Amino acid sequence: MPTSASASASASSTTATGPNSDLLIRLNSPDSQVQLKALRELKNRIIGNRTKKLSFVKLGLVPAVAAILASKAQAHSHSDHDCNLLVQSAAALGSFACGFDAGVRAVLDAGACPNLLLLLSHPDDKVVDAGARSLRMIYQSNLAPKCDFLQDKNMEFLLSLLNSENENVTGLGASIVIHSCETITEKKALCHAGVLKKLVSLLQGSPSQRDNSLESLATIMKDNDEAVSEFVGCESGRALSSVIELTKDRHLRTRFLASRCLIAIRNTSSCYLQDMGIKTKLVHLLLELHDDPGQVGDEAPFAFSSLISQKVDLQKIALEANAIDKLYNHLQKNHLHPKRFQGLLLALADLCSKLESCRSRFLSLQALNLVSEALTHDSSDVRTAACICLRCVSRSIKNLCAGNFMNEMIVPPLVRLLDDPSISVQVAALSAVGNIVVDFTTHRSLFLQCGGVKQLVQLSRSMDSTLRLNALWALRNLMCLADYICKQGIFMELTASSLASLICDPEPFVQEQALALIRNLVDGCMNSVELVFAEDGIILDAVGRQLQSASRDEIWIQGLYVLSNVASGNEVHKEAVMHQLVPQADNGAQSLILKFLQSNESQLRIAAVWTIVNLTFPSTPNAFSRFVKLHNAGIVSQVKSMASDPCLDVKLRVKSALGQFKTFSDGST
Amino acid sequence: MSLFLSSTIDQAYHQLAEIEAELKAAMAGSKKVITREEWEKKLNDVKIKKEDMNKLVMNFLVTEGYVDAAEKFRKESGTEPDIDLATITDRMAVKKAVQCGNVEDAIEKVNDLNPEILDTNPQLFFHLQQQRLIELIRNGKVEEALEFAQEELAPRGEENQSFLEELERTVALLAFEDVSNCPVGELLDISQRLKTASEVNAAILTSQSHEKDPKLPSLLKMLIWAQNQLDEKAHYPRINDLSTARLEDPSV
Repeated sequence: MPTSASASASASSTTATGPNSDLLIRLNSPDSQVQLKALRELKNRIIGNRTKKLSFVKLGLVPAVAAILASKAQAHSHSDHDCNLLVQSAAALGSFACGFDAGVRAVLDAGACPNLLLLLSHPDDKVVDAGARSLRMIYQSNLAPKCDFLQDKNMEFLLSLLNSENENVTGLGASIVIHSCETITEKKALCHAGVLKKLVSLLQGSPSQRDNSLESLATIMKDNDEAVSEFVGCESGRALSSVIELTKDRHLRTRFLASRCLIAIRNTSSCYLQDMGIKTKLVHLLLELHDDPGQVGDEAPFAFSSLISQKVDLQKIALEANAIDKLYNHLQKNHLHPKRFQGLLLALADLCSKLESCRSRFLSLQALNLVSEALTHDSSDVRTAACICLRCVSRSIKNLCAGNFMNEMIVPPLVRLLDDPSISVQVAALSAVGNIVVDFTTHRSLFLQCGGVKQLVQLSRSMDSTLRLNALWALRNLMCLADYICKQGIFMELTASSLASLICDPEPFVQEQALALIRNLVDGCMNSVELVFAEDGIILDAVGRQLQSASRDEIWIQGLYVLSNVASGNEVHKEAVMHQLVPQADNGAQSLILKFLQSNESQLRIAAVWTIVNLTFPSTPNAFSRFVKLHNAGIVSQVKSMASDPCLDVKLRVKSALGQFKTFSDGST
Repeated sequence: MSLFLSSTIDQAYHQLAEIEAELKAAMAGSKKVITREEWEKKLNDVKIKKEDMNKLVMNFLVTEGYVDAAEKFRKESGTEPDIDLATITDRMAVKKAVQCGNVEDAIEKVNDLNPEILDTNPQLFFHLQQQRLIELIRNGKVEEALEFAQEELAPRGEENQSFLEELERTVALLAFEDVSNCPVGELLDISQRLKTASEVNAAILTSQSHEKDPKLPSLLKMLIWAQNQLDEKAHYPRINDLSTARLEDPSV
């Protein structure tokens, strides 16, 4: 049998490296017949075979192929033989670039792109096809150079591609749009140049043109309300109806891309596609697309997420459509592709982000077991997604109260992720930890036993500000309503000096979290208030400095609550707060507390009045002298003037302050 | 092509819905009887254009790859195929190569036709390579088969768990003395070649923006489905033999 004979020849020839380098010699041969044969052989050996692609890239075959392409593309010879060389070399380069980043890099490094572009104006259709296909492969990779649409000549080039009669060439145009269009300025430039109109007309083309058009349209319309309104008005609404119609297409991918296009429109502009019918339809369609075992099924959960994310109405529809059970069933399958695994976890996270009913359905399915397994997955994307899912599910106060997350299944693997090599995993793990440590029972001990606090403290000293921020946030929640022993333990690990420096962190968000953490630390018993006086009151001084120098309401609010909590302590504590808030010497400077009382931010006024209430609490020995100081600084009259504050909470606090003031006035007169 | 068909089907559904509505009104436990006259009158109300029928036939010939018949039918009926007939010849050559066991030849032909097909269809590529392995085993080339499995197929198995399982099943052929009588013997069956051939055929059609299945069989399936639905509610002239499409008198 001739076939098996040739199969055996190639099978045995692949074992040694000899024949591979032989391929290189033949590609460099002066005899172009030999070259052609070598090109075909190379092409047939790499198509579909990543291992071969990699080994041939390493052997340096790509530059040799690119050289043949260059010599023939620039020679303008149209003989059959030369056309054949062009087709085969372009096809080989395209295959190297197909779904394989190392190949794309080699093809780009070999300078093949300009020569492939030359093929697009070749008179032979086969050559044009081969060139366009290869370029499309390259443009499907993130490594491909971005096309700058703001340059007129590039825009003209793009339009010429989209206007082509050749399906592969219009496909290339669409790929370039999908790959290169990022900023809103670029998106608008494309619309102004007529690209959107052209893409709409391609919706009537062949199935592949239709798919390309749908994907490009979704790209251009995302976050671009100008494009959305242009599209919706296109052909008096017919363009939009045809996309809606395409969600019923027989082709799975077309249905998927049409739904993505509609999601882009909905998410960008809140005035379109808001009726119940289309919402329900999109939810059902996307859930159904999850069943596809291929690429569409891998991408479906991400599209589903973008549909329901932050939208309670859609999350309700999804719950009614049994979305949690359906996604969970997919999650249960063995050997999930990491991308699909990640997508499913993120979709479940979005579903559970707002509605308690979703969370309880999720938990009733014992889905937490699968999430816990995902915490130790090989792929960092999956680990991140598992943490995000855990974070959203653990927003359930009911289950937090029951201590349903503080257990052996969740806490140890989660604490281990705090030490993950990937920063995004660490950040996601921190955000999950931050929720589950809000525990109203005594389960905190498990977290402490696993070394969680040590890890969090270490991360609070990280060079990465996002890590510092999230670590502090988790510690702050851990500190919330904790007993003194627990608070003391965390404080000893953190140390006063490093807390003081976190209060003065270069990042305002970190400063805010550090202050909020201390606010929780000093909330409660007298002993814990004592903690901020460690190391000569270094923390309190830092708080005072931050209140002086900061310029953000959030920081002032947290800082002021720290002082307010400290002011609930004993005489020493109260005097220390006075020292920070009311200037000692009369140097004409406005006292800080006066500034906060006059703030436009009601939260800040509440905190300020509360502090004064604590400072002037009548039964304490020096309350009167503090009242006099406050009076002299003009603070008492300021509080009096706030008796009818527009904010009800402020009004209430002012009332109690004024009540206390009255006892002093009664005593003094 | 899809437009005319869906309008025909819509009409059929419409009819069905009407009948159902009538039935619901008349239903009182017993099934309604529809006589041949009533039935034929209803069928006559559905207008199906001759050109639509011709397109359906052409679609079948093109999809199934009967290039000569398609060419003759085009001349006789004036129905234009929705694809260049020359591409059918290429596709049939690939299909035939697989059916004859010349898998490597088929792969090269597919790659000439469009290199994207096998580069973006890992499953199809694996099945073709698996078929190559089967052919080597069939021809008793044990060493080559092992080498080929190791060199070409094993890396694909590493990329995909289900490929690995299929590969193990295929290599198991080598473990039996009498392959025709072993648990995985069906892999050597001619039906395995046909299965692979039809998978390639479908992939080429899809790459040419063409439906991978002819429309006629699915219409027939719909007919059977509709009749089954109707059976529960009425006695009517049924089509029992699809090859003659003769209406049988309702048996009450």
